[in-house]
Amino acid sequence: MQKLVVIGAGMASGRVLEHLFDTAPEAFDVTLFNAEPRGNYNRIMLSPVLSGEKTFEEIVTHDDAWYADNKVTTRFGEKVTKIDRDRKVVVGENGEVAYDKLIIGTGSAPFIIPMPGHDLPGVVAYRDLEDTNAMIDASAKPGGKAVVIGGGLLGLEAAAGLRLRGMDVTVLHIMGHLMERQLDEAAGYLLKQDLEKRGINVMLKAQTKCIEGDGKVERVLLEDGTVLEADIVCMAVGIRPAATLGQDAGLEMGRAIKVDAQMRTSDPDILAVGECVEFDGNLFGLVAPLYDQAKVLAKTLLGEDDAFKMRELSTKLKVTGCDLFSAGDFAEGDAREDIVFRDPKRGVYKRLVIEDDKLVGAVMYGDTADSNWFFGLIKDGSDISEMRDTIIFGPAFQGGGAAAADPLAAVAALPADAEICGCNGVCKGTIVTAIEGAATTLDDVKAITKASASCGTCTGLVEQVLAVTLGDSFEAKAEKPICKCTDLTHEDVRRLIKSQELKSQPAVWQQLAWKTPNGCHVCRPAINYYLLADWPLDYQDDLQSRFVNERNHANIQKDGTYSVMPRMWGGMTDPDELIAIAQAAKKFDAVVKVTGGQRIDLLGIKKEDLPAIWSDLNDAGMVSGHAYTKGLRTVKTCVGSDWCRFGTQDSTGLGIKLEKRLWGSWTPHKVKLGVSGCPRNCAEATCKDVGVICVDSGYQIGVAGAAGMDVKETERLIDVATEEEAIEWTVAFVQLYRENAKYLDRAYKWVAKVGLDWVKETLDDPATRAALIERFDISQSVYQHDPWAEHVENRKAQYAPLADLTTEAAE
Amino acid sequence: MSQPLAPAATFTRIAEVWIPEGDHLVHGGGAYDGAEGLSDLSGQMSFAKGEGLPGKAWAEARPVVLKDFDGSYFKRTEAAKEAGLTCAVAVPVFAGKTLKAVLVILCGDDADHHGAIEVWEDEGSKLVLTDGYYGTAKDFEAISQDISFAYGQGLPGGVWAASTPILMRDLSRIGAFIRAEAAGEIGLKNGLGVPVPVPGDKSFVLTLLSSENTPIARRFEIWDARPEMVGAEKKALRMDGFCAVEGPLWPKENPPVDAVSASAWQGPVGQVLGSGLPEVHQGATGLPKGYTLMVALPVYKDTELTHVVAWYL
Amino acid sequence: MSWTDIGALTDIPLRGARIVKTPAGCIAVFRTDEAEVFATSNKCAHKGGPLAEGIVHGKQVTCPLHNWVYSLETGEAQGADEGSIATYPVKIEDGRLLLDTDAVAARNAA
Repeated sequence: MQKLVVIGAGMASGRVLEHLFDTAPEAFDVTLFNAEPRGNYNRIMLSPVLSGEKTFEEIVTHDDAWYADNKVTTRFGEKVTKIDRDRKVVVGENGEVAYDKLIIGTGSAPFIIPMPGHDLPGVVAYRDLEDTNAMIDASAKPGGKAVVIGGGLLGLEAAAGLRLRGMDVTVLHIMGHLMERQLDEAAGYLLKQDLEKRGINVMLKAQTKCIEGDGKVERVLLEDGTVLEADIVCMAVGIRPAATLGQDAGLEMGRAIKVDAQMRTSDPDILAVGECVEFDGNLFGLVAPLYDQAKVLAKTLLGEDDAFKMRELSTKLKVTGCDLFSAGDFAEGDAREDIVFRDPKRGVYKRLVIEDDKLVGAVMYGDTADSNWFFGLIKDGSDISEMRDTIIFGPAFQGGGAAAADPLAAVAALPADAEICGCNGVCKGTIVTAIEGAATTLDDVKAITKASASCGTCTGLVEQVLAVTLGDSFEAKAEKPICKCTDLTHEDVRRLIKSQELKSQPAVWQQLAWKTPNGCHVCRPAINYYLLADWPLDYQDDLQSRFVNERNHANIQKDGTYSVMPRMWGGMTDPDELIAIAQAAKKFDAVVKVTGGQRIDLLGIKKEDLPAIWSDLNDAGMVSGHAYTKGLRTVKTCVGSDWCRFGTQDSTGLGIKLEKRLWGSWTPHKVKLGVSGCPRNCAEATCKDVGVICVDSGYQIGVAGAAGMDVKETERLIDVATEEEAIEWTVAFVQLYRENAKYLDRAYKWVAKVGLDWVKETLDDPATRAALIERFDISQSVYQHDPWAEHVENRKAQYAPLADLTTEAAE
Repeated sequence: MSQPLAPAATFTRIAEVWIPEGDHLVHGGGAYDGAEGLSDLSGQMSFAKGEGLPGKAWAEARPVVLKDFDGSYFKRTEAAKEAGLTCAVAVPVFAGKTLKAVLVILCGDDADHHGAIEVWEDEGSKLVLTDGYYGTAKDFEAISQDISFAYGQGLPGGVWAASTPILMRDLSRIGAFIRAEAAGEIGLKNGLGVPVPVPGDKSFVLTLLSSENTPIARRFEIWDARPEMVGAEKKALRMDGFCAVEGPLWPKENPPVDAVSASAWQGPVGQVLGSGLPEVHQGATGLPKGYTLMVALPVYKDTELTHVVAWYL
Repeated sequence: MSWTDIGALTDIPLRGARIVKTPAGCIAVFRTDEAEVFATSNKCAHKGGPLAEGIVHGKQVTCPLHNWVYSLETGEAQGADEGSIATYPVKIEDGRLLLDTDAVAARNAA
């Protein structure tokens, strides 16, 4: 095991050790020296310890147990006097330790202005716990007075802490505004006001002359003659790298110990990290780059490649109730442009500095909500030219959308007896009880309460109850939102359309907080379907929300022409129809194809010819075959008992009756039926959405078959004795599908989600079936009509060009 | 940090929320620590403005401390005494001029267990004690009555100046907290200061001081919900807190990118953000491990919810 | 500029489109709002799909063939797709639609 010696138990070297022990716990035998008689603590949190808002114990990063667990030999309270590079030993006050590798992490020392009186008792720096404790002790005197020299980050945090401890505090700052390294003048002004409101006295351009006192601090004198009484003086004017050890050891120095991008000093066995190093001419004071350095150093030690890079810095002042953020560079320059926002009433000031279409600096006071976003833009060097006009208003504005509707609010407000799952009659209280009984996932709740175990439309709602009850610890398995226009899922939207009685698209967009003005090609067709399925009498079908095929009632082909397919009821036709079809095919130059759905397809029709060909087919008594819809397509039949020697029932007749009943209805996805006259199944009914097999005793109704990308046999819904019952069950099933499925889910997918058992149970109730059929018929009263005839009558012009300028141009 | 803790007796025992409905305050939930008499009784009651403790906080538009149930306007004296309670404080929650709710906290202490509830009121340039309960800590009470806090000074002054709740540790070391010595003697350790805005010009600060033996609670949290901190989304970041089980609960990074966040309506703290009402949450569900009761108080500035203070038993 | 009357605003359904035949090929005229129209080439840059048949949303249209989405303002394909379609000046005057046929011709010549 290699011997690693670390000098300095600070935040940077502490992070190095964490990385080492995480990745290679057995690689090094570590000895850790620290001049302070304690291990690593979160030094940047000393300010709240000073103010009394934290205890020291709270800010300890590595306690004794941590060092013991990682077998670190600790030599705390012991100064290192010398590094002997020739012998590769570190000389401590209590003896030597040999090293194979050495890390110098001696940090920095506070800078003390050598003015008269600077060495009086009661003059403290603000660097470590000793300083902090000295100030806390000084504050114990009732009515005590403190003077803080230095109006930078540390000085102001010290001032705020001492004030909260009850002292009368004066801050002396030599510059014209506070925190001039991080803030511009305007923000510095607001900060000064804010501090003065807390009873802190701030004096700018204050030249301190000397500190006086008899045996201890009593007063501070300024050059202008001002005399300030003081029981304690905190000097927080800056830090300087504590690099003497490195210098004495003959390492290459700049203002601190020089390191390369791998954190190596000029001696390859000695590495350095933190405030005691200089990299590429830079010194370090904030914690973020130190953590970067620590990571790189650990990798270097382990022989892995990595390189430290300078990055932009940001900082926030840790004074409770003071919201201040600054990042990047905000010096004024010729090529630079400022964007400034002020809200005097709220005490808000924001300034962005832009150079070459990039954000290079940001100062925020009073409102720092978007600071991370701005900092990200600075760090990434993003091109902000497109959002230049609105960038100051932050990311929410760029998204363009209002805050999304919060479905959780409604759920949280529901009383315990509110029904969540209508299918299984489960109320909110029952679900909450289950969650309190340790159900933490949707599946748990499903298993225990049956909520959302059936039709599944309440899945989103159950998840919301979980979220409301469990808080952020609940992670929804997340049905995806419909599209980028909304955060809501299909299930959410279907439920809300019903429960909030949303009956128009604008109502949906507004009430459900759509992020786009009127949806997109993904959500509009779905919303259009949900609205027309749930509110057939109130909602007006919107052609502009339909895919081209459904809008033009013909299938667009890849060359932009269309196919036209007239309905053949149950696959039956006659010579007159065939003649009409043949004539139309000739007249409009169509390619003719016999389809698998027992019909004839005419391909290659130009859009402007559509009304004419429809008109011809209408004249021959034919209507649209809806071969282009998410709706009823065909009912495939065999010849049945009329002709076939095996036929048990009139399958063709039943097919025609079903088709006449169901045609024209819109459904979540296409619906294809089949009716076979006997179990030989010539109509291939067992892979349809609904397939009926005729048997001697009646009719076997199967549902949820598939013969597309998935192939799946139907599952038996029920056996019935009569044709009427077969129609009744089929219609009820289709309506149940219409009312509950997600748009673009075929029946088999929907049944897989809700479970066939639920479908069976639901349809088993004659009253439910009757109600479904009644609702289906209401919808059919609106939608069962031939679109071809209607379009020929009313929309013919839409199929022609708006204007034809080719002839004019020729003239 | 994860050693199981002996559930110490806590100073606050019972909390309840009263919601205005027309001209009455009706019971909006509560946790009664097994005091069934009080629980049953409370569920049936309502208070007119000025009536009983909640009604008084509403009428006077300030936090009201009740030191002795006997012979007072408290309407549930018998049940409260039966439950071993010795004092109560009613905190009105105003959003601008509108009363959102009254949070009532009932406490119990004895000769060995101390805690203090104080109400500080501004007298122009300083805060003075206007109401308080100190139980048997008579010396501490006497000292407290004699002192005042300037803007920004001490826990009450700090809360007043920063318009934010503040959680102080280690009160006995806070020197100019003139009362440090006295506080140390009776073991007062932590203090929670909360601004209580009311209609009109007056400023009130409520402080709850708790001893190690009888903490106000075993876990405290301060959530910052100001849009200038969290942005347009309705959520809050946990900026301070400590817990007997988990230790410190504040963000370690600067800027505090690692602050824990809670979204509106999600979980118990989320309910407060969503509804804008105080929340007394009973049962372990949704609470941090080891806790079965949470009391959360929303803090408003004008009509805007700015912070949520939560403590857990 | 040569503004040519191509029809009435109300000839185009709201969030719909019609085509205009020109010597430079078909131009799609979109009505994105009550009184907002755009004119672009009707041919999708991808596989030549008829854009006038697409779903119109916001100031965009989605091609009916493969769901490419175009900004009607700039003609640029949105999202990950790269390509663009020509756009032409069109305006509404007294409820009539006027197309700049010079721009169409120029485009054709180029």
